[in-house]
Amino acid sequence: MNEFVETLLEMKWHEPKSSYDVVIIGGGGHGLATAYYLATQHGITNVAVIEANYIGSGNSGRNTTIIRANYGIPESVRFYQHSLELYAGLEDETGCWIMHATKGLLWIAHTETGMRAERARAIINTACGAETHAVGPQEIKQICPQIDLTGNGRYPVLGASYHVGAATARHDRVVWAYAQGAMQRGVTVLQHTKVTGLIRDGERVVGVETDRGPISAGIVMSSVGGNVTKIAAHADVRLPVRTHALQAFVTNAYAPGFSGIISDSELSCYVSQTPRGQMLIGAEFEPQPSYSMQSTFNSLASCAKKITNCLPFLRDLRVLRQWTGICDVSADFSPIMGFTGVDGFVISTGWGTWGFKGIPAGGEQMAQLIATGKTPDLIAPFALDRFARDHAMADLGSAGTR
Amino acid sequence: MLALNTLRGIRVVAAPHVLDAATWPAHVTALRIAPDDIFAIEATEADAAGVASADSHSIIVDEHGFVGCWLDHQQLEHITRHIEWHAPLHRPALVQGYVAGVPAKIWLTDERSLLLCASPYAADLMERVS
Amino acid sequence: MLWLSCPNCGSRPIEEFGFGGELPTVPDRITDPKERDIDYVWMFDNLEGISIERWFHQAGCRRWHTVERNTITDSVEP
Repeated sequence: MNEFVETLLEMKWHEPKSSYDVVIIGGGGHGLATAYYLATQHGITNVAVIEANYIGSGNSGRNTTIIRANYGIPESVRFYQHSLELYAGLEDETGCWIMHATKGLLWIAHTETGMRAERARAIINTACGAETHAVGPQEIKQICPQIDLTGNGRYPVLGASYHVGAATARHDRVVWAYAQGAMQRGVTVLQHTKVTGLIRDGERVVGVETDRGPISAGIVMSSVGGNVTKIAAHADVRLPVRTHALQAFVTNAYAPGFSGIISDSELSCYVSQTPRGQMLIGAEFEPQPSYSMQSTFNSLASCAKKITNCLPFLRDLRVLRQWTGICDVSADFSPIMGFTGVDGFVISTGWGTWGFKGIPAGGEQMAQLIATGKTPDLIAPFALDRFARDHAMADLGSAGTR
Repeated sequence: MLALNTLRGIRVVAAPHVLDAATWPAHVTALRIAPDDIFAIEATEADAAGVASADSHSIIVDEHGFVGCWLDHQQLEHITRHIEWHAPLHRPALVQGYVAGVPAKIWLTDERSLLLCASPYAADLMERVS
Repeated sequence: MLWLSCPNCGSRPIEEFGFGGELPTVPDRITDPKERDIDYVWMFDNLEGISIERWFHQAGCRRWHTVERNTITDSVEP
């Protein structure tokens, strides 16, 4: 058994029952974390998580595994910092090795405008509990010796914000840790089960239709990714969400080692090294909505062209794999969590390209919302009705992509 | 090595049917950028008097925002290698789109061709095609 | 490579175009004028299938076009 391939999981798979207290649609990180925290923090175990494919087969298994809290608005920094701290304690809490490693993240700026944004980011992050410093080129070179500070003569590095607490974790293992923890406490996880509709009693949502029969529920939560619009439409809930394809790729192993995480808004790329030594590189999402998971050479070429300006050693590596996820990108580039205005139907969506880092806090807070019937303070700013209230949480500059 | 020089002329924006009917002096190269938009190289405002009287909403202004150079067949052949899309076979024809990833236009005639782009892109275009 | 067809310039790589968004629609079941405004401004149909969109040919004729695009296959209907 290779530690990278698999581990012995204690998972007991069940046949669907006809009724649960809570039904969660979407067996990715957010859905499974919500089930886990419902069981561990609120004693609610009569819960089913329904996944159309296998658990973690969506964006939970397609992201670039970066955990960070360096956002641009206080509400987001607090939320993601809480998530980052939960991640740091997740191995002790669940007993599962998620390959968590704190690495620090350099967010590089090539222009004075970009540098102003990074200085502001450092101030606001530190004020909200996420330690971040503005650093100059020499400090950058110390943290990341591989960087070309001239940016190939085209993208000179003026400085960066250095987010000390940023980390990476193996994304599949996070999914499995939550799934295992939830299932050991009695939660049912149904794989290869498609939700085809929502059962309504008047306005209220009282269950789900699946291709394995109807399942009634006290409350239904959607933690669906790119396909969320269709699920919400069953409850007549309209969402400020578009589905965009986001691509990433890994190279062969880079033996000298690359300890940090590099992020670059102007070049729309982010780079880290996986535990296997491969360089993991993510790019920007396509501007137009798409449900296609077809990876494109154009995207690969444009990302490679850009990032090699700053990290020339990547030119000597070969691309091993490239893949695509379809992301639920919200209109203001912040997640949407909470009540939908339809009784019995709550939602966690709009995770766009920033969902992995939010899994523990998103799950914990949604579990609390479901258990208590009240929106926790930490996620109150992210309610769906913020758009109608004119309180959009615009933070495109912190998405790390665009 | 190509040298891109400023192209002087007028920009005429008017109703498509008015532009369809417009005539230009022999020394003028009139490029139909869009149905309602012509870049008439080496034309003056006086050359567009007919357009101005036929369409009272027309806009006729001096245009010196483009640079370009004339290409012989061999040079055109070289430039064509930087184009990913198909150019039409008929002549004369104006084609527009990325040339080596830079927004550019080519006026194709039987004898010679004019490569042109907006002046801010000139350095980028030269760098990429030479 | 994905291609879009410009009625003025012909078929071109999608990188030459700017995406201007889908034509906004508001469901008939939303009747309150204020609710309709909110929906118009913020909400998306996010269609899986044929979407009617506005595209700007920024590298060519610099004109806006209405394009029917299949968001599942990313192909463009002729």
